[in-house]
Amino acid sequence: MSPDGRAARIGGRARIAIDVAGALGLTGTLLAYLSLSSLVPTVVAVGYGEPFWPFLAAGAIAGGLGLGLARLGRRSRGPIGFREGYLVVSLTWLLAALYAGLPYILSGEPQLSHPMDAFFEGMSGFTTTGATVVTDVESLDRSILIWRQLSQWLGGMGIIVLALAVLPRLRIGGRQMFESELPGPEVNQLAERIRDTARRLWLLYIGLTLALIAALLVVWLTGLDDALTPFDAVGNALSTMPLGGFATDNRSLEPFAPVTQWIVVAFMALAGVNFALLYRALVRRDARAIRRDEEARLYGLLLVVGSALVFTELVHADLFSGATAVRQAVFQTTSLMTGTGFAITDYASWPTVTLMAMIALMFVGASAGSPSGSVKIVRHLLVGRILRRELRQTIHPELVLPIRLNRQPVDERTLRAVLAFVVLYIGIFVIGAGLLAIDARIADLDLGVTDAIAASAGTLGNVGPGLGFAGPMGSYAPFSDGSKLVMALLMWVGRLEVLPVLVLLTRGYWRV
Amino acid sequence: MKIIVVGAGQVGSTIVDALHAEHDLTVIDTARDRLEPLAYRYDLRTIEANGASRLAIQQAGTAAADLFIACTSRDEVNLVACSFARVEAPRATIVIRTSNVEYIDLWREGRLDVDFAVSSELETAHAVARSIGMPSARQTDVFVDGQVQIVEFEIPEGADPAVVGRPLRDAHIPDDSRVLALIRESAMTLPGGDDVIREGDRIVVIGSPSAAREWGALLAPGEGVVEDVVVFGGGQMGTAIARTLSEQGIGVRVIEPALQRAREVAEELPDCRVFNATGIDPDFLERERIGRAQAAVFALREDPQNHYAATLARVHGVRFTIAVVHDTISTDVYELSGVDVTVNPRAVTAEEIVRFAHDPRTQQVAMLEGNRYEVLDITTQPTSEYVGLRFRDMPIRGALIGAIVRDGKALFPRSDEVLQAGDRVIVFTERSRVPDVERVL
Repeated sequence: MSPDGRAARIGGRARIAIDVAGALGLTGTLLAYLSLSSLVPTVVAVGYGEPFWPFLAAGAIAGGLGLGLARLGRRSRGPIGFREGYLVVSLTWLLAALYAGLPYILSGEPQLSHPMDAFFEGMSGFTTTGATVVTDVESLDRSILIWRQLSQWLGGMGIIVLALAVLPRLRIGGRQMFESELPGPEVNQLAERIRDTARRLWLLYIGLTLALIAALLVVWLTGLDDALTPFDAVGNALSTMPLGGFATDNRSLEPFAPVTQWIVVAFMALAGVNFALLYRALVRRDARAIRRDEEARLYGLLLVVGSALVFTELVHADLFSGATAVRQAVFQTTSLMTGTGFAITDYASWPTVTLMAMIALMFVGASAGSPSGSVKIVRHLLVGRILRRELRQTIHPELVLPIRLNRQPVDERTLRAVLAFVVLYIGIFVIGAGLLAIDARIADLDLGVTDAIAASAGTLGNVGPGLGFAGPMGSYAPFSDGSKLVMALLMWVGRLEVLPVLVLLTRGYWRV
Repeated sequence: MKIIVVGAGQVGSTIVDALHAEHDLTVIDTARDRLEPLAYRYDLRTIEANGASRLAIQQAGTAAADLFIACTSRDEVNLVACSFARVEAPRATIVIRTSNVEYIDLWREGRLDVDFAVSSELETAHAVARSIGMPSARQTDVFVDGQVQIVEFEIPEGADPAVVGRPLRDAHIPDDSRVLALIRESAMTLPGGDDVIREGDRIVVIGSPSAAREWGALLAPGEGVVEDVVVFGGGQMGTAIARTLSEQGIGVRVIEPALQRAREVAEELPDCRVFNATGIDPDFLERERIGRAQAAVFALREDPQNHYAATLARVHGVRFTIAVVHDTISTDVYELSGVDVTVNPRAVTAEEIVRFAHDPRTQQVAMLEGNRYEVLDITTQPTSEYVGLRFRDMPIRGALIGAIVRDGKALFPRSDEVLQAGDRVIVFTERSRVPDVERVL
């Protein structure tokens, strides 16, 4: 008799080792609080005289579901454990995306009301991807636009991190859920209590967003940019800081003046720095914290080198010259590397070499501890060091070489996790691209090789736009529902850094 | 002087042997079989008790003691004993032996309330570094934990003309160093700018470890500089040795048999290459070209391991071997089988403590040239007439300030530097002038 069979005879109930009720309960609590965010677009809708009931209804549905789940959770006792954390994080983000899509369905907006479109747009919002199915952004209601931007802003720093910062004591035990949303070596050293850490990060995030809004409003007031309105200033600030990518204009940031674009570039670059380091530099006035950090230095270096390469290609291909070429190169490099996805020109029409650079940039990402997605700089750094160590140990097998980050040795478990992440990330990217290609074939959609690759990399890396019809000025609308589901799942997996979601798919997670 | 010694092991008994004739000694130890031999051989009082017991410290008459030495092999016992002693006798001089570099650092920063801290590991490391240091050097001494070296060189034929055969003021003397003394036909002079170093002379140089190595390269171009040393054993002792050598700019390879420990050492010493190997595997020795190393240090946990590994290393071609002695008898065994230098950690530690006992204010005294000249390490009093003077303006009275230590860091002062109260000064002087120097500073 198999061990499983014996366990079944002794008692079937013990077979699921996860406190599902407790996890659902905590997820429900989080969702209930998150549902309050629908009040913001409600107010905007009232202000602009647009229908506000879709937001109220969405908030009521999410709130009701949340409270119902929370009630379910009362049956379980004790705090949420390490293992339940993975379920809570994954479910919360799934439900948040569904919740974000509700107003789109309820509003009956023709571009978004199809349920799969709404789910895609909602997931793209909360995961700060910025891929959209909307073809004509400007025709959307202001309240819908603000809701799209706000969903990115809320997702940027992490829903659970936000909950930890503002909610009364949650039944969350450790740092693990926090870390699956906002991983980074420095992040959890800001304060003794995780709640204080979360608060500081969110305050900094809010402060930077306000600073960006203020800077853009100054541009508007001084008349330096005719295209910029206060609504654009707020809307684009809400998607710049989380490195999101939803824009309030059909042509992304193209209509705006160079000064506006440069301000946005500066804040994108800033938002790509580890927020714990930003906090130390900006709030505690310790600028050396950033300069000494190896990841921040490599991040800066890659931004400069990437921009320089793209600049050379642009000039060589005779597309732009002089200051315009610099601005184009810096903007597009920063936007794609940090996973924002803004565009100031339709780069999808650039020559192949440059497009390859663009796709490569999608795999870089920004720093750990920032709202960016993708592989992230610190993993590139560590993988590079692991490979260099392998080379050295090939010649000297007995040589003991600890890998260091900022002079601190990194333990081997962490290194294994980094390698596993990179391999899984690439694997999922390849599977995603393959599924998109197959589905496009079935739906008889004209999807080129680079387009499939860019769509998979762009959604998994939470970048946003792909190439071809899904390029920076286009939309994901032509994809079939199946492809949209695949890409929504890619965004979800990418935002949670792969492992927490994949863990749920293992038998060992659920069993004793 | 009334002296109390806690711990009657090898360190304690060496100290007793050196001090018993002139001082009144009380020895505290838990083991009767360690105390009895001492009591039979020397005229002293023994107390069989735990050194970390307050009662024992009181019974020993600590309140009336001038010097209190805690030198058991256990750091914690020594720390507790010293803190009790400080309460009993606030004015006594207190010396602690520790194997933990952290405590030495604490003491140096003034946060450990003892007058002098000695670490077996560091003393051993310095002894090893001295013997590896410079082939052309006759004698070397280290001060301020290796930050300052005093080296006596014999000037051979073919020494670099950058420093030899020209007046000192024109010579290209390595940075952070100065010539303290010129010895010609057994007459020593404190050199001025007009003096010339000639072949056959001997000179005494003070400087940073890297400057001393530069001197070695200048004076003996053929022999080259030691660049590659292999340390067998990554325990506390081996790690301390590797760190000291590495700080002198020598490339160090460490071989540690235990994987976990090897990792710790590698994390602790980023500049050393650490291998996880037994050190007695011929394939490994061959593959890593251990035989090409200029010197090998054996600091494994057991003497027989050291002995075997050293012999094997010699078979593989290592020319210069140094072995750490845990058991006194091993010295003879090592030497019989061809080990070039042996270092006994307990003996060097005891020597260091005994030196200190001679004059507590003089932290370290090295003796050069058959005791005719001395190097003093003195902390300047605020009342000294030299405080506030520039070095250029100090009247030379047969003494030369070679280096000063300010805030724990060694400086090699230029002539316009000003001496400050509380500076530790390293002075080179004739023996007969030692009392004068101690008085004016």
